Amino acid sequence: MIAFKYTKTDGAEYLSHLDLLRHITRTLRRAGIQVNASEGFHPHPKIYLNNPLGLGIKSTAEFGSADCADVNFAEKFNACSPAGIKCTAYRIFDFNPNYAFTVESCGYFAEGIAKFDAEEYLAQKEITVTDMRGRRVDIRPRIYSLEFNNGGLNFTLGCGENNLRPDLFCKILAEKYGGNAVNITKVASNGKYTF
Amino acid sequence: MNINIDGLRGLLLDVEKPSRYTGGEFGAPDVRESAFNFCICFPDLYEVGMSNLGIKIVAESFLKRGYCADYCFAPYRDFGRGIKKLGVPLYSSELKKPLNEFDMLGFSMQFELSYTNVLYMLDLAGIPLTRRERAGGNYPLIALGGPCTVNPEPLADFADIIFIGDGESADADVAQAYLKHGGATEEFFKEITRIDGVYVPALGNKVKRAVIADLDGAVFPERIAVPNCESVHDRVVIEVMRGCYRGCRFCQAGFIYRPVRRRSVKTLTRQACALIANTGYEEVSLNSLSTGDYPHLRELIKELKTNLPKDVTLALPSLRADSFDGDFAQDARKTSLTFAPEAGSQRLRDVINKDITEEEILNAAESAFDAGYSAVKLYFMLGLPTETDEDLRGIAEICAHIKERYRQKKRTKPLRISVSLSTFIPKPFTPFQWEKQVTAEEAKAKQQVVIDSLRGTGITLSWSDGFTARLEAVLARGDRRLAKVIKLAYENGCIFDGWTKDLNKDGWLKAFDDAGISPDEYTRAFGEDEVLPWDYIDIGVTKKFFLSERRKAYAGKVTGSCMSSCKGCGLQDKCPAAGAGEKL
Repeated sequence: MIAFKYTKTDGAEYLSHLDLLRHITRTLRRAGIQVNASEGFHPHPKIYLNNPLGLGIKSTAEFGSADCADVNFAEKFNACSPAGIKCTAYRIFDFNPNYAFTVESCGYFAEGIAKFDAEEYLAQKEITVTDMRGRRVDIRPRIYSLEFNNGGLNFTLGCGENNLRPDLFCKILAEKYGGNAVNITKVASNGKYTF
Repeated sequence: MNINIDGLRGLLLDVEKPSRYTGGEFGAPDVRESAFNFCICFPDLYEVGMSNLGIKIVAESFLKRGYCADYCFAPYRDFGRGIKKLGVPLYSSELKKPLNEFDMLGFSMQFELSYTNVLYMLDLAGIPLTRRERAGGNYPLIALGGPCTVNPEPLADFADIIFIGDGESADADVAQAYLKHGGATEEFFKEITRIDGVYVPALGNKVKRAVIADLDGAVFPERIAVPNCESVHDRVVIEVMRGCYRGCRFCQAGFIYRPVRRRSVKTLTRQACALIANTGYEEVSLNSLSTGDYPHLRELIKELKTNLPKDVTLALPSLRADSFDGDFAQDARKTSLTFAPEAGSQRLRDVINKDITEEEILNAAESAFDAGYSAVKLYFMLGLPTETDEDLRGIAEICAHIKERYRQKKRTKPLRISVSLSTFIPKPFTPFQWEKQVTAEEAKAKQQVVIDSLRGTGITLSWSDGFTARLEAVLARGDRRLAKVIKLAYENGCIFDGWTKDLNKDGWLKAFDDAGISPDEYTRAFGEDEVLPWDYIDIGVTKKFFLSERRKAYAGKVTGSCMSSCKGCGLQDKCPAAGAGEKL
């Protein structure tokens, strides 16, 4: 099993997750990297990606795995991948690191939100908002870190079961403190098998 | 000034499928500005346009000569509204260059219900819609091409140049002449009227359809852009043949693409292998009007299976029932197979020269069942010349006989039959070009006959909206007066007329009303002595042949395939099947 870290930038941030999966499958086919297929009525290559990234959010820290042998993976992949989807590192595992389940939190960076006291914000015990389905939810447990640095806001949010969408979070902050988040970028994925 | 996509972020995140508008596809040709900058405009959505082979061939013919060939697709309403509000002009896919800054825009007219989208795209680009309004201004040449332009009249007022026939060389020849004359001068227009397939509406020249003699050696892209988001035919397409031997009397494509020209097994295999390697697709579609008539089909399939990666599947989308063979069946997803008997009775099938018997249809269905299929889709038309209720009830009979064949197989899986019923549209350059189209009421009554005869059989029936077929007939058979209607319809908000959910019937009816033109004028029967709006176009097939075919239709006589003998349609000197040129 090859685990690979890749980007979703330069226009690729507008690709839906399904289209992204199609592009990665085709990239591997063009590169001549043989991926083992599932056994079933409609066999398909065993390629696993981390959880979908919201449309328009860039990333330099996406993770995926493919059931194939080491074949100079990054070089071959990058020679055949679309603009913005580039492999930046890869590792070999003897099991499937299944990033959709093992990534626990992700680090993001965003510009454009008006400055506020991040420590004070985090000191709140409960931050209740109305979610997309109209339910009241406390998002405080899903916020892991928050600080202004390098001319923007750096923050870590829960992922998977504990997910909080970075674009929604930015919207909540912008509504409260002003400004408008631009260039939201995922810069880190944290989990047992990330690198 | 080229558009900066980053500046459209807010809008892109607000619309459906933003990757339609960002360009940068993998494998897209390296488009650079050149002495002549051409942009192919496709008046439908990105997903539809990206599946079109014709525009890729035309682009390739420009790129081969060192010219720029970029693309632009009609943005859906949400994005169109968005850029208009922001004051951003419609831009090309790769260079992000405003359409207004190109030397020529070439619209690909694939079907009549995309006419208003041409106006929509020009409007979004800030280009005046009619030739008259553009006169004297610094605008790109507006060109139209594709199958619909065999009757250029309804759109003639909007275009500077109209291409008729094969696009492999005429389009790029025009670019060459443009450079020679240093722009769109009077001499330039005069010179291009001498090129086969070029019609200049302002000059009203006689025009002969462009026909390429050598399909095997013709330009064909071996590297194509892989669409950002899934397209309607998301696979590799190779063109096995152009033209059709059959000459079904209702089928415009069967006449306007004559004579039949073929590619060799060697060329097709090379093209398929290159395209699969360059795209990463998993399926190759063998396209033509009737792939089962390709004489080396078995050899081609064998070569493709030997040379393509093992898991690549083949699709044969246009198989006639009499050429269907279990071996040819798609090798993946054995679920549903489609046949087009077109008419329910043998009498009517003879009238339309479908040249197929019920036994052949049943045998084809049976071999499909043997190959593992358990669903059949059947295409029929209503409103064909001489049609009676008896013919319509024949549809249910064919279905019953197919069911019987399936029952004999004693399979556990139930059989699914779906019948799709469309309305006959009398098209220019067919033996039925003079026929009337059934009225909405007649169509409804005919639908009811089929609905009643299929009731309780468990067969799924779907039918098309009567107004759509009527509008298609009007636009296909229209004359220059229709320009007014098309413009008014656009102003009433009619765009994407081919999409059921977008069709604005009231907008069209109001446009006809305001223009003082009745659509009935165009759906009536035309007299054989009338001068038809498209008569001045030399399509290659003679009017005499169309008339003799019409007579034979009324006599219920089948003409049969060009493979058996030459029928003398008028293209004998260009037709390989009739002995001209090289046979492949």
